[in-house]
Amino acid sequence: MTDQESTSPVKLALKLLWFTFWTGFPIKLAFALLFLAMGIINFEARIGLGFLMVLASPVTVFALPILMIGLDSHIGEGVGIGLLFLLCIPIDIWAYGVVARTYFLDRLRLEPPDGIGLSLWIKTAIIGALYLPILWLVVGFTTETGISAAHSLFETEMLKWVPIAERIGIQLTLWGAISTAVLLIMLLIGLSIIGRVIRGATIGAQPAQDSYQRRVMRWDLMRVPADQGLMLTAFAGTGVVLSLLFWSALPVTTPHPHECCKKPEVKAQPPYKPIDALNKDEKLIVQLTAQLEALEKKKAEEEAQGKNKAKGKAGKEAAKVPDAKAPAQSEAKKP
Amino acid sequence: MQQPSSTSTQPTALEKVIAFVDERVGLKTLQAKMLNEPVPGGSRWAYIFGSILLFIFIMQAVTGILLMFYYVPTADHAYASTQYIIHDVDYGWFLLSYHFWGSTAMVVCVFAHMSQVFLWGAYKKPRELIWLVGLALFGLVMGFGFTGYLLPWDQRAYWATTVGVEIMDKTPVVGDFMARFLKGGPTPGQMTLSRFFVIHVMILPAALMGLAGLHIFLFRKAGPAGPFRGSVEELKVKSDYFFPRQVWKDIVGMVTVFLSICALAFWEPVVLLEEATPDPGDYHPEPEWYFLFLFQMLRLKIFAGEFGQFLGAVALPGAFMALLAALPFIDRDPERNIFKRPIALIGWIVVMATILIFTVSAIINREFLD
Repeated sequence: MTDQESTSPVKLALKLLWFTFWTGFPIKLAFALLFLAMGIINFEARIGLGFLMVLASPVTVFALPILMIGLDSHIGEGVGIGLLFLLCIPIDIWAYGVVARTYFLDRLRLEPPDGIGLSLWIKTAIIGALYLPILWLVVGFTTETGISAAHSLFETEMLKWVPIAERIGIQLTLWGAISTAVLLIMLLIGLSIIGRVIRGATIGAQPAQDSYQRRVMRWDLMRVPADQGLMLTAFAGTGVVLSLLFWSALPVTTPHPHECCKKPEVKAQPPYKPIDALNKDEKLIVQLTAQLEALEKKKAEEEAQGKNKAKGKAGKEAAKVPDAKAPAQSEAKKP
Repeated sequence: MQQPSSTSTQPTALEKVIAFVDERVGLKTLQAKMLNEPVPGGSRWAYIFGSILLFIFIMQAVTGILLMFYYVPTADHAYASTQYIIHDVDYGWFLLSYHFWGSTAMVVCVFAHMSQVFLWGAYKKPRELIWLVGLALFGLVMGFGFTGYLLPWDQRAYWATTVGVEIMDKTPVVGDFMARFLKGGPTPGQMTLSRFFVIHVMILPAALMGLAGLHIFLFRKAGPAGPFRGSVEELKVKSDYFFPRQVWKDIVGMVTVFLSICALAFWEPVVLLEEATPDPGDYHPEPEWYFLFLFQMLRLKIFAGEFGQFLGAVALPGAFMALLAALPFIDRDPERNIFKRPIALIGWIVVMATILIFTVSAIINREFLD
């Protein structure tokens, strides 16, 4: 049994995609950073961060725009996003080619067919474009259902007493486990499909006749050119140019978030200033004391007036028939 | 025209300088020792985390020194000087944001490095001391995060420190002393800031440099553990020197981490809240993200009350760290293959899942507080 027969499609796809992703990622990230510095990319919060992390790998390059159109989501704004997508394509084709050729020679002991990078990239990108939206919908639906089921479970009388912290933890474990399981199953199916496509490419390939040492040398030279001095100079030169571009484009002061992608502002309570608060309180106390004094004065004056009136009335009425209700009426007039 | 043969053998100016230094310092011997270290089983991406950590630390030191040119470690000026760095100093926002995200990257890489060593069984004999020094370095990295968080002197910094010191206070015997020593008063103030600053910029870097040196020395002494699978013959065939393949992988790893930190600095530049005050107002105090799981754990009913808080904040994490320290002495089985060590594999998955669940729970919990 040969290696290509013994390796499962899932393992084959996982290895090739993982290595391809990491081969292209640093280069794509350098361009993304340059565009960020130039201010020609403005990402929406989560999806943008996801994009920045994944940077349109061979599988997501067409799937992401389809998802955005299909779900009417907004990834962000700026010509840099489109430009980055376009740049990702040749980088991915190159990375896929390098990884596939070395993998064919080293692990599968097969002569890599011509143009394997391009052919695998096209097939993988098409599968990703068709499969990832399905994966997105299935996992999204499962997660939403899982969350609502977990919530309704804790609305029942039997579990209503569970404290908030425990409830959050249990709910998260419940729907998180279900979502993760579904995501893993869907990923395995996707990887299996891609693995079968990669295996299909091995069918026509000729077995490598070289010795192990010769094969190692060949796949070594696929990654690192024979003229290492030239390669190092090219790398160093590119690094210097990119660094200069980055520093010249880097905003001197904090870049303002774009209108499309403003983040929710986090604001704490205004600072508590004890001296100001004391002064304010003291002023208020003085004001209230003055008001109180004025009220007391008014009250005392009214009382005095009331007494005088009562005395005058009593004096007049004393001359007339005495009335038992009179003092009570004067009392009732008091504030 | 043919050149005279004597000129082609004549050393260039650079070669002369190198030869001069080499004669006095032993540069070529040092270079050979540094780069010609054999890597059993060949270079691997899994081995890059140690070098990446060293790189992040150097970058943190560089950005930290640049920030210190403008930062004033006093309660009156810390906040204003940080605002000045963000708004007025040329590229100050980028330096501060890089420093902030660099600390996060360091914690992530420490977790990755420790996980790799654990899963590869690289802590086993004769590498017990490397593991122990590594654990001490892990503590230092956490200490860097904790002490550095206070320095901007905004509400987030103030209250994260208050919560952290309160947790520390629950440690038996030394807790009270440590909390009082760090705070330097009944509430965090000038003394707290001064002490945190000195610990952050002097004590911890010195300790880290010493321990990192010891860690590397012990690593070179014992040699790399190599992959956990494969026969001795296979490993021998695939063995390679540290230079050039592993060096190349390390460089790619460093560049990737550097670019990621830069991208995050752009993505989420540091923004300060209001200036620190003893009144939290509407702000819900919480620690930095890598302590969130512990913070959320302490909200559980089981950890309520004095004893419960001690159990959750001190006893359990302490016991876990003690278990990690004792690991090479408990696990004496020479088997390194993680797939043949089910308890270790399940244990690692459980710990990672617990940290993840509690961290996400803490984020969800914010909605209930708001």
